[in-house]
Amino acid sequence: MSSFNLDEDQQDCLQELINVAMGQASDQLARYLDTFVYLKVPKIEQVDASSLTATLNEERAAAAVVSQGFFGYEGIRGEALLVYQPNDSDKLADLLGYEPDELSVEEQIIDLSSILTTTFLNVFASQIENQMSYSAPRLVSAGQSSVSSHLQQLSFNWDLALKVKISYQVTDYSFNCDMILLFPESAILNIKTVIDRILEEY
Amino acid sequence: MSLDKFCSSISNQLNTGVLILDLEGNIVLWNKFLEIHANKAPETVINQSVYQVFPELPKRWFERKITSVVQLKSPSFCSWEQRHHLFELPHTRPITTASRFMAQNCTFLPIESKAGVEHICVLIEDTTDVCYYQTMLNKTLADLALANRIDGLTQIFNRKHWEECLANEFSRARRYKHELALIMFDLDHFKLLNDTFGHQGGDLVLIEASKVVSAILRSCDLFGRYGGEEFAIILPETDITGACDVAERLRKGLEDLAIEYQGNNIKFTASVGVAVIDENDNRYEDLISNADVALYQAKSAGRNCVRLSQELVACDDLIKLV
Repeated sequence: MSSFNLDEDQQDCLQELINVAMGQASDQLARYLDTFVYLKVPKIEQVDASSLTATLNEERAAAAVVSQGFFGYEGIRGEALLVYQPNDSDKLADLLGYEPDELSVEEQIIDLSSILTTTFLNVFASQIENQMSYSAPRLVSAGQSSVSSHLQQLSFNWDLALKVKISYQVTDYSFNCDMILLFPESAILNIKTVIDRILEEY
Repeated sequence: MSLDKFCSSISNQLNTGVLILDLEGNIVLWNKFLEIHANKAPETVINQSVYQVFPELPKRWFERKITSVVQLKSPSFCSWEQRHHLFELPHTRPITTASRFMAQNCTFLPIESKAGVEHICVLIEDTTDVCYYQTMLNKTLADLALANRIDGLTQIFNRKHWEECLANEFSRARRYKHELALIMFDLDHFKLLNDTFGHQGGDLVLIEASKVVSAILRSCDLFGRYGGEEFAIILPETDITGACDVAERLRKGLEDLAIEYQGNNIKFTASVGVAVIDENDNRYEDLISNADVALYQAKSAGRNCVRLSQELVACDDLIKLV
């Protein structure tokens, strides 16, 4: 087991922190979007650079991927990828409370991504007494080939990452998307430090 | 110097617009960047509605954006890539872009006090340069992508791209049981033309022949240079009669063509092979071989004629039958 792996207690603790954050995020989103937003129990796993592309390729039919960097105190940083399926963006403007002619589909996808990412991570950050800043979200692509090339670029910068995948469902709009948080190795060690501190305080 | 003075001094030297609004959209802070670029002194805009100072703002959109920042206490972004600019400010550089206005990245930040979010800060970054270079890059990439598909001499599709098109058309026709025809033609005695008029004369023949054939084709037909003096045309949704008609017209068009070159009149002919998709064709290469066999038969039959694959019917006869 490498020093980047989380032991059972750490994994449980992180899972619990994420669960609580998901509950609060879903509540905030429901209020803002005026509809129920379901967040499915997250999947937490270690991925190495070589298998990252493969694991993300499960979302093979991805129509669009939006990437947004986040960074907080104590070296907690990473990148969020929002993965959308084709045809799921039809009712986005309506969901976001815009008139469809007020903004392009790309802008709607980027806007929603930013809302989902920042809402979840803000709550998560407050759970660990932290505060997040964000880079501007970027549409990586609307095509398969550029998604994999973006992923290859991503994994180029680290060998190992902690991957947290959360699925969002907005049933009223029959809309789904996945949020994939990737923490690079250096950030994993920092997360472990924070988790250990929380476990001690218990 | 107090911290406040530091902050205001820095805010006024930033190459970024700093605009602070209250929740009704009234302007609370206006830094020097905005004063200069909007050409309005702070005293004329403070306490004014942002929608009055910038009537070009998409009001409903802007209000919803502010709501998201206030309610979710999260920053929100607006990139020039999706929305070239929000605020109509002039360029900072005299370079040509598609817009008269400064390209912008805008960031909306919640400003929290004890009572919650009572103000919004809008940061306006000038991205005119980025926009300009990105536009140039995109254009260059599009040019390169085109160059990658086109044969430099004749300006029709090159072999690689043409074959990719055929692979696509072939699988589509197979899947939906649609018709698909292929014409391959070769300029007769091309080596002799080269020997007589030189390679430049030969090149001119290739260019002019491509033009004549292109003019005959429909916009959905895919015309490529297969190699040397051999050309190939994919005819989607076309049956044997239609394909023979096109083949005969292009043979006639090339026969009638006279190219003026250094005081000479270059005349030449072409041999044409036609094939249509068949149940037995499993790969697109089968279609190419069938058309190629027909082309070879046209050559053996004395050139300057059209031959049809398989049934070995001379197309002249078929056209007469129609």
